[in-house]
Amino acid sequence: MALVLPLVLGSCGRIDRSRSVVVWEQMDPKEQEQFDLHLAAFRLAHPEFAEFDIHRVHYRTEDLRTQYQTAALAYGGPNLVYGPADQIGPFSIMGLLLPVEELLPRTEIDRFDPVTLPILDGHVYGLPDQVGNHLTLVANLALVDEVAADTDTWLEQLRETTLDTDGDGRADQYGLVFNLLEPFWLIPWLGGYGGWVMNDQAQPTLDTPAMVGALDFLSGLKQEGLVPRECDYPLADTIFKEGRAAYIVNGPWSWEAYREAGLEIALAPLPMVTSTGLWPSPMTAAKCYSVNRYLDPETRECTAALLAWLTSTEVQVELAMTLSVLPADREARLRPEIQSDPTLDASRAQIEKGRLMPIVPEMRAMWDAMRPGYQGVMNGDLTSSEAARRMQTKAVGDIERMRE
Amino acid sequence: MSLQRRETKLAFWFLLPVAVVLLGVVAYPFFFNVYISLTNWNMFHFRDPHLIGLRHYLRLFAESDFWMIFGKTFLWTAVNLVFHFTLGLGAALLLNRKLPGRSIYRALLILPWAVPQYISALTWRGMFNSEYGAVNLILAKLGWLGLGPLSWFGGEWSAFSAAVITNIWLGFPFIMVIALGGLQSIPQELYEAARIDGAGPVRRFFSITLPMLKPVLMPALILGTIWTFNNLNVIWLVTDQGLPADKSHILVTYVYKAAFFYYRYGYAAAFSVFIFLVLLLIVQGYNKAAKAGEAY
Amino acid sequence: MSGHSTTRATRPLGQRLGRAWTQVWVHVLVWAFVLFAVFPVLQIVGISLRPGDQLYSTELSIIPDNATLDAYRIMFTEKPFMLWMRNSVIVAVGTAVIGVALASLGGFAISRYRFIGRGAALQGILMTQMFPATMLLLPLYLMMRKLHLVDTLGGVMVAYVATALPFCVWTMKGYYDTIPVDLNEAALIDGCSPFQAFVRVTLPLSAPALVITGLFSFMTGWSEFMVARVLLTSQELATLPLGLESLFTTYQTEWANYAAGSLLVSLPVVVLFLVLNRFLVSGLTLGSVKG
Repeated sequence: MALVLPLVLGSCGRIDRSRSVVVWEQMDPKEQEQFDLHLAAFRLAHPEFAEFDIHRVHYRTEDLRTQYQTAALAYGGPNLVYGPADQIGPFSIMGLLLPVEELLPRTEIDRFDPVTLPILDGHVYGLPDQVGNHLTLVANLALVDEVAADTDTWLEQLRETTLDTDGDGRADQYGLVFNLLEPFWLIPWLGGYGGWVMNDQAQPTLDTPAMVGALDFLSGLKQEGLVPRECDYPLADTIFKEGRAAYIVNGPWSWEAYREAGLEIALAPLPMVTSTGLWPSPMTAAKCYSVNRYLDPETRECTAALLAWLTSTEVQVELAMTLSVLPADREARLRPEIQSDPTLDASRAQIEKGRLMPIVPEMRAMWDAMRPGYQGVMNGDLTSSEAARRMQTKAVGDIERMRE
Repeated sequence: MSLQRRETKLAFWFLLPVAVVLLGVVAYPFFFNVYISLTNWNMFHFRDPHLIGLRHYLRLFAESDFWMIFGKTFLWTAVNLVFHFTLGLGAALLLNRKLPGRSIYRALLILPWAVPQYISALTWRGMFNSEYGAVNLILAKLGWLGLGPLSWFGGEWSAFSAAVITNIWLGFPFIMVIALGGLQSIPQELYEAARIDGAGPVRRFFSITLPMLKPVLMPALILGTIWTFNNLNVIWLVTDQGLPADKSHILVTYVYKAAFFYYRYGYAAAFSVFIFLVLLLIVQGYNKAAKAGEAY
Repeated sequence: MSGHSTTRATRPLGQRLGRAWTQVWVHVLVWAFVLFAVFPVLQIVGISLRPGDQLYSTELSIIPDNATLDAYRIMFTEKPFMLWMRNSVIVAVGTAVIGVALASLGGFAISRYRFIGRGAALQGILMTQMFPATMLLLPLYLMMRKLHLVDTLGGVMVAYVATALPFCVWTMKGYYDTIPVDLNEAALIDGCSPFQAFVRVTLPLSAPALVITGLFSFMTGWSEFMVARVLLTSQELATLPLGLESLFTTYQTEWANYAAGSLLVSLPVVVLFLVLNRFLVSGLTLGSVKG
């Protein structure tokens, strides 16, 4: 009898898939707010879909990927899944996504900047509503008068602003803070020294002089004590928010929070590497809505309309203004309000120097290959050239094993 | 009907619900995994995997870091268990005495178990930060003891220790509660008799307390071994996915990565079956040791 | 004829000092434990009081300068905290009730009855715990889907009971092993059926084990995340761990809210423990066998 009870309790809460349109996302709180606003507008504009229950479910990026795989494997899951474009690679290979051109007319797809569209094997697997995610130089104007435009000047400033005011051997103020653990922060410098993670055939190109140069540069910062000894994302964020750092390298999702913390900040592209004359190229990524291959046929129309709405020109303009990202829609980019906003301007300045993140599944292997080498160099356990070599070996090996 | 037959019937009915739930929930997933461990199921063969036999299992042992990770898992399990039990038992003995405010103390000591693991692990991670973490700040103040601040996440073994310390903190209240429960069933007369016979506290502990606690502590020990062996969360969170440089893995975190980062499901399943077999052997070992000591 | 039956006042000084010394040490150790257990929790309290969502702080102070209770307020007003609580209570209590019921029966059978396949049953129950949980989730989901138990609180409860049962059965069995059989026999002689004997005599005597089992099952249902994540997708069914997770985003996590939420989540457990603590007191098996 005790076993019947849960089954009885259990029958409450099941949703009827044919009457609901679900979007799984990994959005920041601001993005979530925006989504809810635009969803409400959609409902007003499309009374014909009133019978459908439309809502979003939030996941963390990691979980979003694993949950979607699990659900779609069982021919279930949401109607739309929203996230960074690099999750699309594996999903499409596993056959879990429906190409957008099967749902929407070509005209809807053509209004996007083709560079931002996730295309694999000739099919478009998602529609982006923003291009961003780019690391930028953020300066605390209380500690810095003019933002450095090249690394030599920058290093000077960093040395000047790293201070040990109470003489206890620990710096009380740092010139620079950033996430010293994730290779995402290594990437811009890799570009600044003339390299990149992979070539056009999706083969890793990690063992290059550019990588060695980038690693040397960053470990040099640590050796000189210009950055904290151990710094992960939350710590960098905290130190900067406390006003104890002159510069931080962080992305658009964080800028507003710094302003809200009372800091006066300036945004600028990461300084040009003096020795190479190249600008650092942070990875830019589009965030896209992708369509579940196994969505309930009765919800196709509503899903298609929702997809078009959420990535429409108007919505993209609003997202750009509130989130400081660039639209992926070409017409949205030309709007006067986009052209004239100073934060967006700074954003654009950096994006122009950035490079789009590859969406092929091999990218996953890249991150995992770079992380140990990067951390090893920053710890002082490895030399840069040794690290670069190991990164390459690991990446090649992991990719081979993934493909067997 | 013989006594044994009659008891078998009764036992059957008493155990039926347990069996239904356990077999229902666990059997299918288990055999599913055994099956896919013999296939080449991964990202590129997602919808059409086919059998490849024992290839994954052979590949397991060829993995470069395999023995290191294997050894680390054992070390992880052993160290954790030793401390869980000594601290848990110690706390239980202390809090079994008549103390004013005993209930408050017990409630406070239960906090590590009650607070959600995720935030506790992250908080500990912060406390181990070499510059700003509480642990190093305290160690610096205790410099006169000969200890000093460490770069916890800079080295393989110090990172491992950080995870171990966190897990010890998380796990000892559980043993404390069990030991408290077990202590209640020890009749006070036994202690009185022993005292009369002149046995000191240490002797009383080893001759009375420990043996009487055994039946209650055994499940915790065996299951504790299994749970600690398979504990994914703590290492993952404290070392941030295997810091430094992927060196802090134990077997299960490795499985997680293979499955969910590289989509090598078949391989991960084989690995999991291997872990299962290892644990099976360990528990058999426990059984033999227990039988040597007493009857079950 | 022992030197120990003297009254307290007349005990030799050496012995009294010895006792006092022990008391001091006991207190020192207890406080050491308390400090160890509570310090990190104080850190979490600090995070919950700090404005601006900062996980770390460069200060060592527990209460920050600009402390605010905003996070707690937000948890109750802007987040569906009570909804999460309701769901978690249903799941946790359900798991505890079912778990204790099944385990006390099953453990009793294994402890008392010598039946064919007894050893195998014990080992079998144990084996269900050995397989790494990560790989069980995927097939579990597939199976629950077929049974239409996905996205239901009942499905989650079933999974949790299965998770908690091995420990509970073993614990109850271990405890039953320490309860003398004579008591049961006495009841049977008095005319009770085996089941009545079980309920009237054995169960009350195994109160501490029931406490442990109940608390453990409750905790399994209360704080578990992975299975809930896989099986539940509706917002209305989110349990507390899921609710707290929704405060996470890639980088901008609402740390203050998360910390506040976590502490709020811990409170019911502590309260429950305080309530059940009464049963963790000795004297229950005393005197019942003599005679």
